[in-house]
Amino acid sequence: MIQLKIDNIEILVPEGTTLLKAAATAGITIPAMCYNETVINHASCMVCAVKNNITGEFLPSCEVKVQQGMNISSNSEEVVEFRKDALELLLSDHVGDCEAPCRISCPAFMDIPQMNRLIAIGNFAKALEVVKEEIALPLILGYICSAPCESACRRKQMEGAVSICQLKKYTALEDSKIANHYLPEKSLKINKEIAVIGAGMAGLTAAFHLLKLGYSCTVFDKNKKAGGALLKLTEVELPKGILDTEIEILQQFGVEFRLNSKVETEQLKNDFDAVILASGENSKESGIEFSETGYTTNQKGIFACGSVISPVKMAVKVVAQGKAAAYAVHSFLSGNLLQTKLFNSRFGKLREEEITTYLKESKPGERNEPSNGNQFGFNKEEAIAEAKRCLRCDCRKSHSCKLRIYANDYKANQLKFKFASRKSITKHFQQEKLVYEAEKCIKCGLCIEILAKNKDLTGLTYIGRGFDMHIAVPFDKSLQQAIANAADECIKTCPTAALSAFSGEDEFKINEVCE
Amino acid sequence: MNKEIIDIVDRIIAEKGKSVNRVIPVLQAIQLEFNYLPAEALERVCEITEITPSRIYSVSTFYSQFRHQQVGKHIIHVCVGTACHVKGAMLVYDAFRRALKLEDGCDTDADGLFTVLKVACLGCCTIAPVVQIDDITYGNLTTEKVPEVLEDFKHAMNAGFLKQKESLQYESAVKGEIRIGLGSCCVASGSAEVKSALEKTLNKNKINVNVKQVGCVGICNQVPMIEIIKAGEPTAIYTKIQAEEVRNIVLKHFKPDGFLSNLGNRIYNYVENLAIEDIPVSTHKYSVEKRDTPVSEFLDRQINIATEHRGIIKPLDIEEYIRLGGFSALRKCLFDLHPDEMIEEIKLSGLRGRGGAGFPSGIKWEMVKNAVSEEKFVICNGDEGDPGAFMDRMLLESYPFRIIEGMIIAAYAVGASRGIFYIRAEYKLAVKQILAALEICHQHNIVGSTILNSNFSFEISLFEGAGAFICGEESALIQSVEGERGFPSLRPPYPSENGLWGKPTLINNAETFSLVSWIFRNGASEFNKIGTVNSKGTKVFALAGKVNRGGLIEVPMGTTIRQIVEEIGGGIAGGKAFKAVQIGGPSGGCIPASMADIPIDYESLTLAGAMMGSGGLVVLDETDCMVDISRFFLSFTQDQSCGKCTFCRIGTQKMLEILNKICSGKGKAEDIALLEQLAIKTKQGSLCGLGKSAPNPVLSTLLYYRPEYDAHIQGHCPTGKCKDMIHYEITEDCIGCTKCAQRCPTDAIEAKPHELHTIDKEKCIKCDICKQICPTNAVIIK
Repeated sequence: MIQLKIDNIEILVPEGTTLLKAAATAGITIPAMCYNETVINHASCMVCAVKNNITGEFLPSCEVKVQQGMNISSNSEEVVEFRKDALELLLSDHVGDCEAPCRISCPAFMDIPQMNRLIAIGNFAKALEVVKEEIALPLILGYICSAPCESACRRKQMEGAVSICQLKKYTALEDSKIANHYLPEKSLKINKEIAVIGAGMAGLTAAFHLLKLGYSCTVFDKNKKAGGALLKLTEVELPKGILDTEIEILQQFGVEFRLNSKVETEQLKNDFDAVILASGENSKESGIEFSETGYTTNQKGIFACGSVISPVKMAVKVVAQGKAAAYAVHSFLSGNLLQTKLFNSRFGKLREEEITTYLKESKPGERNEPSNGNQFGFNKEEAIAEAKRCLRCDCRKSHSCKLRIYANDYKANQLKFKFASRKSITKHFQQEKLVYEAEKCIKCGLCIEILAKNKDLTGLTYIGRGFDMHIAVPFDKSLQQAIANAADECIKTCPTAALSAFSGEDEFKINEVCE
Repeated sequence: MNKEIIDIVDRIIAEKGKSVNRVIPVLQAIQLEFNYLPAEALERVCEITEITPSRIYSVSTFYSQFRHQQVGKHIIHVCVGTACHVKGAMLVYDAFRRALKLEDGCDTDADGLFTVLKVACLGCCTIAPVVQIDDITYGNLTTEKVPEVLEDFKHAMNAGFLKQKESLQYESAVKGEIRIGLGSCCVASGSAEVKSALEKTLNKNKINVNVKQVGCVGICNQVPMIEIIKAGEPTAIYTKIQAEEVRNIVLKHFKPDGFLSNLGNRIYNYVENLAIEDIPVSTHKYSVEKRDTPVSEFLDRQINIATEHRGIIKPLDIEEYIRLGGFSALRKCLFDLHPDEMIEEIKLSGLRGRGGAGFPSGIKWEMVKNAVSEEKFVICNGDEGDPGAFMDRMLLESYPFRIIEGMIIAAYAVGASRGIFYIRAEYKLAVKQILAALEICHQHNIVGSTILNSNFSFEISLFEGAGAFICGEESALIQSVEGERGFPSLRPPYPSENGLWGKPTLINNAETFSLVSWIFRNGASEFNKIGTVNSKGTKVFALAGKVNRGGLIEVPMGTTIRQIVEEIGGGIAGGKAFKAVQIGGPSGGCIPASMADIPIDYESLTLAGAMMGSGGLVVLDETDCMVDISRFFLSFTQDQSCGKCTFCRIGTQKMLEILNKICSGKGKAEDIALLEQLAIKTKQGSLCGLGKSAPNPVLSTLLYYRPEYDAHIQGHCPTGKCKDMIHYEITEDCIGCTKCAQRCPTDAIEAKPHELHTIDKEKCIKCDICKQICPTNAVIIK
């Protein structure tokens, strides 16, 4: 047995144990990317680095074996910085988007590509579920959203942006036509009540998300009708029936409305566990000052969102704020830290040659316009056809990619080492099973080992050396000729989305190649 | 599949073998046949051997020797090693591309006649910049001479010049001896032609002397050189001679027996006076007894151990080697000493590995000896991939028996039964000499079974390295011999316990082995007397760059940099100021002239931010830009990184990108801090010696030449080396001769006879031809 210290904890493990495993016996978790238990592979990524305090060396803990009397740091500031540098170097050479540009540009962070994929296979109900993850009022927004997502859509470079707003409207309209509207699942009930002042978009959104989080929620408004500033819109801009339906759905979901009632914030503060001010422009109250960020105020338990803070023109921004305020309240009441946005790798504009690559996963053709006019939106066929134009810019492993997870944990900055131009993106398909995106690869070689171990067809190989080293199929053959049986193992083991399942991380198959 | 290709591949496989580890020799044979690696041939290999497609691609794309694209009939290798770089190799490279009208991204000319490639180092640093076209080497090139070189080569091809062979016929009594050096530098400088002219002269005039081909004399800047030894006359050395001068020289010393005949007047070599002002272009006679000549200064301050009997012994004359004491050390070890005593002797001598890190050789031998195994290996590392280094090449070419003797002694001490010479395939002459020497040793019962009738048997084979700097690293070298890409592996375990095929393996550098026999012949204490406290014996350096007299030198440890540069090297060429020496190549660093008095040993160099490395020593003068030097090495290490570890693969690239930014005038102040930070992190975060030392050139120049970096940030390259930050101008000194205008490849200068010329900055590509050609030095860089 070998005795050593990791983070000042005495550890006793058998000879031949790696530092990574020795640390695990003491409950110390060390991140690792290029390492996998099932294959023999040599350390390369250095994300698992620890420091040998005696020699001052940084060691890859996944491969270095324990030695008697070692004194190792796995969590010092220096080690954290070191891992962060390794991640930042990897990220500087990682060309890919975690999230699609459309989703990033949506203030409400709606998962647009996922919605598109579901519409493309005709699963409109599921598509609406995706929409309602982030957006409380899709039906209304279907009419009045200025759709910043469409300005960011990469398809804009080729035959026009995907008509995202119309697609979202289509899912909401479909839902509005059925008796049992879709109501999201609520988290475990929390016995706390929240008051929202103002039944405009901000207030309604906040109420929706609070209910989802498990709270009870009452919305107060001085008007007879809910809707706030929406009530001022013309029938062409927003048909009254649409607003009514959306409010009705919210009621079904469990929002309590106290309309036609003037309320004192002070009073509500005593009666409720928290109050959200969402009363719109020109309704500031004396004694309440808004903080610049975080939707809090100078008074404990009082929150604010929407134009009451300062005028907000864009409807979808209001929706985003309502959601954020709801989460601020949740953080205040539960003591949980606010979830910040996940790390997001981005590469910017598509190059000419990359457009061709991206088009492989979408249907060619100009942007569809609703044949019945914008007011009424798409019919089913139009919606499906339009959704199929989506390029699938988001990552197929946006949840499980280790590079993203660790980049997030270590607060890595992708731009730190960006000096020269990036590599061009390539995508290779193995039927409808596996996708290889070389520019997301960290060159760990695990796939090469797996394929060799399984004696799978020609397998993959390293090409070249130095910075240009990459992994490809020998003899420039196709992926079909390289990988067969071991595809799933490769997908599972690849630490990034360089090798991913064609259908992404979802259980149901929602993709097809349109070559 | 092409039947012809199949037949050729099948024949190669029958010869080289089918196992996986034969992949590199198989690929080398295929390339020799086709001049590149046709995909069909590789597919055939996979069909009939154990080599998988994955393996064959992985290996063939790792080593720079291999090509997957068809190339021109002749290959022009432009050396971009350190010494060539500082003497304008990139300008020469561009000039070849222009002369052959190559388009961007294409390396072969339209006729498919020439392919232009860069090569890391040809090891002919003393005649830099160097270009090799097939087997002909041209030295001391300038951009301006490029068209002539191409013409000359075509001429030589048509004339079948290279195939020409003359034989000597003796009729009368031997009148004396003429020695001619035939190391790679000598040959590159035209000594093959001198030799053939010599043979012709002797033949036609019926003069009977012994013509002896000796190995590298070391005075590479003075070659071609011949030495004439005649009873009753002081030995005479002729330097920088040209083929057509041979006849006169020979006739001065030896009376002809027949009538005279004229030689052809074609001048083959391009070597000119290498800037020693007081020596005429050629034909300068020095008596070896006369002091203070460049030759004696060069030689006298050296101690020859690795290079013992330099200029005297014929590389492949085993009788002579034995007469001069060769193999007596081996005999002593085999019959009089116990391996433990031998290891003790090596320890006592204080010998440390000459490959770079300076690990004590005795301890290394002991580790291998103590490792328990039925089979052990000894490998001679002659991979020498550093640009600016040519020690191993010269030692292997000139003293093959000495290195073989050192290897056998080591093998006996550690109990190894098999030895491997690992030599870069680019070192064609070294490979040839070692193979020939091994054959001779076999015949003399020095290699093989029951060596010298002892009960010790040791077989030695040769493995040609396929061009990867990383394979100088022990674990990568082993991977390479095993037929893998040269990925180093994590140590421990060390090769001494788990080396080639998992067996204990002793790997020493060629120079280390070349010192071994001397130690046993003269005693460890004699060796130990030479040198400094912690670094014993001598060190061989490849002295090159901006020095008057470059060459292979062997000096006692502790010699100062100044002694080397000023006394042996004769100071800086062209009256320029001494700026720095770059020691240790890509792993080393730059030591400024102000620190030139430090005695050279392992510790002092490391302390100064450089490294002994394998012994490349490139002298820099005031016109060399240190940021550019730093960028030069980074572009080398970036390309040579195996690509495995994040910090080395991406870190070196990012450092290079920052340096490119700085050298193009786009750098910002914060870039320098980031560069330094990245350099330190790359040192810490790389697992092998290459990555750990790759940032040294950056860190040492940042340490000593920070103001130069700052100047670049402010938009000014103080030496005018960084192309993007300079422009050419013509001063009032212009006499209007129009020479520049005639030669300008982009018509940036308009010919105006007898008027002051001007350069159109828009059109100028900064090829430097106008500056080189101007008779009044009116072209300046601003």
